[in-house]
Amino acid sequence: MEAILQELLDLAGVGAAMVFDGTGRLAGHRGRAIYDRTLCEQVSGTLVKAIDSIQLQQADWDSVTAQFADGKLILRNLGSPGGRAHTLAVVADATLNSSFATVAIRVAANKVRKSIVEGGTPAPTAGAVPAAAPAGAPSASSPQLPGESKPALGSSGLSWSKVSSVGFSTIAVADPASSAFLTSCAKKLARHVGPIAKVYVEEAVRRVSPDAPFSVSIGGRLVQDLAGQIEDADDRAQFLASIEKV
Amino acid sequence: MFDLALIGGVPGVRSAVLGDLSGGYLDALREPDGEGVAAVMGFLSSAMTQAGDQLGLGDLRRISFAGEGTACVVAFAGASVMAARIEPARSLAAVEKALEASLLGKG
Repeated sequence: MEAILQELLDLAGVGAAMVFDGTGRLAGHRGRAIYDRTLCEQVSGTLVKAIDSIQLQQADWDSVTAQFADGKLILRNLGSPGGRAHTLAVVADATLNSSFATVAIRVAANKVRKSIVEGGTPAPTAGAVPAAAPAGAPSASSPQLPGESKPALGSSGLSWSKVSSVGFSTIAVADPASSAFLTSCAKKLARHVGPIAKVYVEEAVRRVSPDAPFSVSIGGRLVQDLAGQIEDADDRAQFLASIEKV
Repeated sequence: MFDLALIGGVPGVRSAVLGDLSGGYLDALREPDGEGVAAVMGFLSSAMTQAGDQLGLGDLRRISFAGEGTACVVAFAGASVMAARIEPARSLAAVEKALEASLLGKG
């Protein structure tokens, strides 16, 4: 893994290359000067939130490029080799040859996938900074109060996987119509709770359909469960109204 | 501010949504769920701006993401955010170029 990332770091203009999982934990990292492991761990936690937002919009995303005034950030979806979602991120300055980098990153992504499958993902270092939780998310370490239905992020399996036909990595669905319904629910809910909506939907599905693949036939129960996650009455009413249009 | 009608006329652009950095919805073109798209783009811009700040990359200018069949470009001008859905995905580069020319022309 480190050797593959070093090849990317050797490209002119590249400042750092890292691989992280769906919780923001680094699986590998190589960086120059200021781009040390601590910084990259902070960044990977932030990028997980960005990726969650992208997946709400485009579940089958393959690549992301964020252009900044002084450089760019390139992300490549590695899918779920070894059963866990992973992302390759490259930090570059304005001198990067984009055409050449595109090819190099594609090659590196394939090698990293193979590396993860063959060798497994190395455990995060003891000093690793936990991934930042999406805005509004409850702390993974905080106790859940009785009757409080919001899920703890740490146990939610937060990742949208290309392995799953719906982008929900930890739940099963009965058919494409049901998966489309779940995606729509997540998008509507995201207006009120943010990207954590995907996690709420996954948790709600487990509550209303714990023993069988989710089917749109029990969509009403799911919607009521989700509405219960929205504290503000006006927002709750807006959510229910928007779902009625689905 | 972006001209949605102009952007919507670029070949490959299937729909477009105009919003602000806080996720507020302003306008949409051929997009039935403009409010949802604007909200998600607000979260995305916030997270990506934070990542850029952490890495010292300066102001966020544009985000583009692509899948097998479709792509999306999110552009920023002041407090405005514009998201355009592109199909096929291979039109992304051409749309980015047109968008840049459009912004420079107004600048």
